[in-house]
Amino acid sequence: MTATWFSAPAPVARRVRAFFAPVNRVAQTPVLFDPSEQGRFSLDAPPAPWISLGWVQDFVRKTSSKSVPLMTGIPAAPLEQVRETLEAQVSLQFLSWTKLTMGLATGSQHMNILAPAIGAAPAADGAQALPAVTPQSGSTSTSIMLALTDAAKFTPGAIVAVDVDYTGQTGYVGTPVAGAYVRQALTDVDYVRRVTFNVALVSQVTATGLTLSEPLPGGAPATGAKVQTVAGFVDREGGSFYQEWSGLFVLEASQGERIFFHYPRLQAITGAEETISPLNPKNQSGHSRVLLKGQFLALPVTDPLDGERVVCYRSFLPAANALV
Amino acid sequence: MQNAKDSFYIALRTRLTEINPQRTILVRGTVRPGILVEEAEAPFSQFPSDVFVLRWLCLAVDMNLDSTMTGEQGEIVYQTCGTQSFGGLDRGRALSAMDEELMAMIQPFYTPKLNYAATPPAAMLTQVFWDEPVFSPSVAQRDLLSRSATVLVYSYQEQGE
Repeated sequence: MTATWFSAPAPVARRVRAFFAPVNRVAQTPVLFDPSEQGRFSLDAPPAPWISLGWVQDFVRKTSSKSVPLMTGIPAAPLEQVRETLEAQVSLQFLSWTKLTMGLATGSQHMNILAPAIGAAPAADGAQALPAVTPQSGSTSTSIMLALTDAAKFTPGAIVAVDVDYTGQTGYVGTPVAGAYVRQALTDVDYVRRVTFNVALVSQVTATGLTLSEPLPGGAPATGAKVQTVAGFVDREGGSFYQEWSGLFVLEASQGERIFFHYPRLQAITGAEETISPLNPKNQSGHSRVLLKGQFLALPVTDPLDGERVVCYRSFLPAANALV
Repeated sequence: MQNAKDSFYIALRTRLTEINPQRTILVRGTVRPGILVEEAEAPFSQFPSDVFVLRWLCLAVDMNLDSTMTGEQGEIVYQTCGTQSFGGLDRGRALSAMDEELMAMIQPFYTPKLNYAATPPAAMLTQVFWDEPVFSPSVAQRDLLSRSATVLVYSYQEQGE
């Protein structure tokens, strides 16, 4: 067998696709991406647990690592270099507002505004919520089985949060993503559902339960999980919690080649911030798109291959038949 | 460059047959998908209505690369009078339908490059790719509504081209 080839110039790409996966904060385990096994995945169907966040724009990655020379001799001359600091940052703009993009683009907890109980006192994070209902057995990631009276409390088009009651636990809470870190016991029984990323849109309500338009990120409701209606989302400037995610950014170039930037650990380093982008650049006072701005600090992992500490892996899968 | 032009046209034609198989034209006694290459047909004094006509305009070349890159500007012109059954009052809707078909035809923004001079067409090594189309304002001329969209089509020259 033989192959012909061509000389491939620098890759030409249109946009960057972003994928994120939750870091297991309790076990301190990031999600790894293996370009040898997963490099040719469909960008519309990423391998679990990666979640597609679609196209992003103004993707910029910047290394702040510093190397310094070791000087010896008279006059002093560089003998060799050593890496003094290891640091990198990533910034981008999300082109959609979803639970996940908002969570990533805020520096602290990202909370669900639960539907309020009748007559509840106002609160900045959302008032005391309507009581949660308990899923029945047989529920799946896209179908929540409920008692007839419970199902009647929901409407198609509603957003629901599915997670366990808060019962005084401390540490990381939220399924499947740690949505907050509780340092001391709280009193709100709905707190975990306020910070959970396990949310979805209800597409249909029947006498037996809810059909969801997309699978719950956490899969089928866990034992003890309950369901509540979400009216919206809220985040705050301040707080002590930092989101941490594994990030994967993909450029698919014109000849099928792919460039991957895999950051095993990314933490948001700025508070919630938006960028205003006029729809018509010639009319700055016209309608503008409000984009979520994300800026992240890359944290190191130890590569088991050789024990080196690294913050990012850049992989390149060349085009078919391209000279290398 | 001809291979890139052919590949772009065939890609659009193939996609059009899936998007709207009813959009056809009778040319030299043969019913074909409703997209033509102007330079590959007998000269016409007036563009046919309700079909897409692809014409090639500018050419740019970047030779400072490992493989020479070409960029050719294609213009896709289309016009309609609407339908007889509505007395032409639906010509705006008909033009919108063609706008939507063109937007669908243009995606994805790449196609494999093939040599259509060979029989069967021979697959080449690179892909042809292009930018988003730039739509012109619609032009009304009596009962005729027309529009054009320009697309920059890029390709790499391969050995033997």
